[in-house]
Amino acid sequence: MLRSDQIMATVEMVQKENLDVRTVTMGINLLDCRAGSVKATCKRVEDKIAEYAHNFVPKCNEIASKFGIPVVNKRISVTPAALVGAGFDVDAFVLLAKSLDNAAARADVDILGGYTAHVEKGMTASDRALIESVPKALSVTERLCSSINVGSSQKGINMDAVAIMGETIKKLAEETAESGGFGAAKFVVFCNQPGDNPFMAGAIHGVEEADVVLNVGVSGPGVIARSLKKAINRIGKENLKLDDIAEEIKQITFRVTRCGELIGRQVSKELNVEFGVVDLSLAPTPKVGDSVGEILQILGVDDVGAPGSTAIVAMLNDAVKKGGIFASKAVGGLSGAFIPVMEDAVLAEAVGKGALSIEKLEAMTCVCSVGLDMVPIPGDVDAVTIAAIIADEMAIGMVNNKTTAARIIPVPGKKAGEVVSFGGLFGESPIMEVRNVNKSARFIAWGGRIPAPIHSFKN
Amino acid sequence: MGKQLVISVMSKDRPGIIADITTVIYDLGGDLADLNQSVLGGYFSMILIGEFDDKVTPEDLLAGFSHINSETKIEANIMEMAVSLETEKGKLPLETYVVTAQGENRKGLVKTMGDFFYSLNINVLDLVTTREKQVYTMIFQVDLGHISSMKAFRKELQDLATVESMNLVLQHNDIFMATNEVGTSSCSIIRN
Repeated sequence: MLRSDQIMATVEMVQKENLDVRTVTMGINLLDCRAGSVKATCKRVEDKIAEYAHNFVPKCNEIASKFGIPVVNKRISVTPAALVGAGFDVDAFVLLAKSLDNAAARADVDILGGYTAHVEKGMTASDRALIESVPKALSVTERLCSSINVGSSQKGINMDAVAIMGETIKKLAEETAESGGFGAAKFVVFCNQPGDNPFMAGAIHGVEEADVVLNVGVSGPGVIARSLKKAINRIGKENLKLDDIAEEIKQITFRVTRCGELIGRQVSKELNVEFGVVDLSLAPTPKVGDSVGEILQILGVDDVGAPGSTAIVAMLNDAVKKGGIFASKAVGGLSGAFIPVMEDAVLAEAVGKGALSIEKLEAMTCVCSVGLDMVPIPGDVDAVTIAAIIADEMAIGMVNNKTTAARIIPVPGKKAGEVVSFGGLFGESPIMEVRNVNKSARFIAWGGRIPAPIHSFKN
Repeated sequence: MGKQLVISVMSKDRPGIIADITTVIYDLGGDLADLNQSVLGGYFSMILIGEFDDKVTPEDLLAGFSHINSETKIEANIMEMAVSLETEKGKLPLETYVVTAQGENRKGLVKTMGDFFYSLNINVLDLVTTREKQVYTMIFQVDLGHISSMKAFRKELQDLATVESMNLVLQHNDIFMATNEVGTSSCSIIRN
């Protein structure tokens, strides 16, 4: 048997530090579902998802119960819908969206991702139709999430698409105005979108993937926060330096990753589905004690957004990757610390205090995953300004060869400082101020593409 | 092949005790297989399996041990193994779980847990206990292969925890392997 202190450390991690597996996401290829008509295609989509996912949630629950580790979210990602519905018009895409939503309900998953188009270089008629359908598709469905990839390090940034994204987000928020623009919380714009990310709203089943795979997102930041507090108490603040803390984070992440992979692989074996990757991201929830912001506070900034926040996030992100990569056989997805404002109570609190601005968030996304996430802004910010914010975030991803994303929620009828609440996992936050509104129109009006950056002569 | 003997030895601990015991075994032509040794409260305890020629008897070993210098008498028990070592060398049972039990120290805690497992015909594969200040911790590695409903078993454990005012936690052994063994990947832990 293992040493008793090792056993008790693991028991504490599960019992007191709330170790869990954040998400197990089943990716399903739908490219073979295309039929002669929209109706037939939708039926084949629903049937294929049901075929593979009918036992998915019960099996996850069974394995979670066996190992005594909760699997918090069970989700499905599918092939980008723009490919599945190539040739569809806007109305047909909305029908496809409803079918995906039905399939998610039948499989008993709360979210299905993949209402997606990849338009980083150019847009086909189908891509345009899917994008045009997004406001309606997300307002008439419950479980569907949408993402559009508008940039990549290899192809540059499609600024025509970025301009459309600003308008799409505005329309989406207005279509769902009665729920505070909630539709925009289910829509995310990417640069370098990975095809094996298990986290929503940006999960898709990339075309490079096998027919069906399982990807796992490991536990949340709460485990790391509590373990760090414990280590600081045990060793003493005066005896710890930042490199010691980074080492502690690596070791915790190692354990957390091992648990996630064990459970993911067991589910995948029992469902006879290929195992994909472990995504090492720290994904906070609005629950108290499950916050990336709390880790920043433990590591020395009184409010998230204060000078030093970016450096801490950089260290945290790196230590998580180092611990996780050693622990896992296959790492992928986003793999970094998320800083979604509404979903992280400490970040939301910092916004309320005026400590955290969009500009500081943007700086932090240079060194962590994944971008300006769940950022509520005043409802009267214009589409062009939103597009320009997205362009800035995409540029960070493009130049740094990393994934960045923007999930911006213009809250209809509300101004900066007022609070918006979506409840549950989507959380709440004071609305963030957007400075320099209406000053980017000439930039966005250019359209065209920002060319891909040079991939040598790096300094 | 000769016979396989299970030998357990206990004595006051001192430098050289392992050398003395294994010298007796070596002198009798024994070949050591599995061995487990620990020191508790200043007392040395060792259980081992050795392979010997058929002509070697337990009495030969006991005679050898009796000549070892020790502050206390060397207590030894020797039994011939009924099952071959190769058969026994299998890995842990598939459904090996770890039950950790913590409570305020008092008499009868281990007995309470032992009775509980016995009442459900559960075999305890390994047991470690420690006392720190007034908190008594017991870690039982148990085979739950024959338990048909884990839900019902968890409920029984929870009921016991309530009645005995203990904190009882049940986790699959694989979780501990995954989180603590660097050389063991998740792939190798998952078995058919």
